[in-house]
Amino acid sequence: MIRAELIPAFLIHRRAFKNNSLLLDFLTKAHGKICLVGKGIRSSKTNIQMFQQLNISFSGRTNLKTLTHWEVNDQPRNMTGETLILAMYVNELIARLLSEQDPHPKLFNIYQQFVNKIVAIDKQTSYWLLRLFEHNLLAELGYALDCSQDIKQHNIDTNSHYEYQHQLGFVRNPAGKISGKLIGQLLLGSVDNMPDLEQLRNCRDLNRQRLNHLLGDKPLKSRELFFSKQ
Amino acid sequence: MIKSLNQAFCILPGVGSKTAQRFIYYLLEHNREGGLALAKALTGAMEQVKHCGICRTLSEATACEICDNDKRDDSQLCIVETPADIHAIEQSGIYKGKYFVLGGYLSPIDGIGVAELGLDELNKMLSKQKIAEIILATNATAEGEVTAHYISNIAKQFDVQITRIAHGIPIGGELEYADINTIAHALSGRKNYD
Ligand SMILES: [Zn+2]
Repeated sequence: MIRAELIPAFLIHRRAFKNNSLLLDFLTKAHGKICLVGKGIRSSKTNIQMFQQLNISFSGRTNLKTLTHWEVNDQPRNMTGETLILAMYVNELIARLLSEQDPHPKLFNIYQQFVNKIVAIDKQTSYWLLRLFEHNLLAELGYALDCSQDIKQHNIDTNSHYEYQHQLGFVRNPAGKISGKLIGQLLLGSVDNMPDLEQLRNCRDLNRQRLNHLLGDKPLKSRELFFSKQ
Repeated sequence: MIKSLNQAFCILPGVGSKTAQRFIYYLLEHNREGGLALAKALTGAMEQVKHCGICRTLSEATACEICDNDKRDDSQLCIVETPADIHAIEQSGIYKGKYFVLGGYLSPIDGIGVAELGLDELNKMLSKQKIAEIILATNATAEGEVTAHYISNIAKQFDVQITRIAHGIPIGGELEYADINTIAHALSGRKNYD
């Protein structure tokens, strides 16, 4: 028997389950990703929403745990259009890459910052925010990338270029696409210190390469929803 | 035989083994005629009801009653998630245009994307037919909103007005009891009062 009382959580996915119920995936601080049955929740008057911090209570045995109570503990966030697609993409990453009930308290904070910031920035900055999220997520999952040194343990030179060698790190190469400056910006992890468009695209490719390794053969479905080229 | 019938009833939403048993005893003991009629009707419907070739709702004919009705306005197209949504809108009696049924919403995590929702068909429909207004009537959930956004991007390629059904305080509802998301939505979508 497992039980939790009013723990912080974000809803990341829902699907219909039986008559009026929903199967709900939450990202929680204490339990990581957790799947709960929301009994009769489809026809309830207040709707449970994504991208809003909730407090949830649940109980149950190993397999099917039930959401017993939930309340909103956050401001409404008006997520629409491209912003919403980016946020759904992040939810898909979490749904795909996190194991059930594997706690990642730091990731919860990273996600919280992501949803707070994404509604307050312009489009180009939101792509950079997404890249930083992917970078931090990978680190949380145990696939951190050393952005302070190259694989020969030389400090990253912001005036040089590098190429990425899978699971090893950065190799200095004048013909490499990735600028030392971008690596420095990834290390700094600040939304305000953003790479130029070309390096932003290189960063997308770098992250994609790192993520694809974990995602296997099944590509991320939300990628097909991006109309504009990031 | 009774056991397999019990299992068959259990596929219905909200029906468990106990309820199924009650159905079975009722039909066998008191209403065999009704039971046979039910079986016949069910077989007929399961074999013959398909999807409308135009709007994708459930239909026996290649074109459903609404698509086939000349009195319905061809220039308005209301996009809904399910055939049940059409039924709900039709009951209001206020809408005289036509429909397009997605059969769900964009849900990348469940593998439901552009192709699965027939959005390519919708694209073709918009390029062939002259439609003046598209009404996005997907649900007021994040998934419904993403779906509406994606369709609006498709529709923007054509000369068509794109509208979204309003979300807000329920009729007869009190503000005090509305949840904060609804209030925020109702406020940002407020209209001129005259
Ligand atoms: Zn039809």
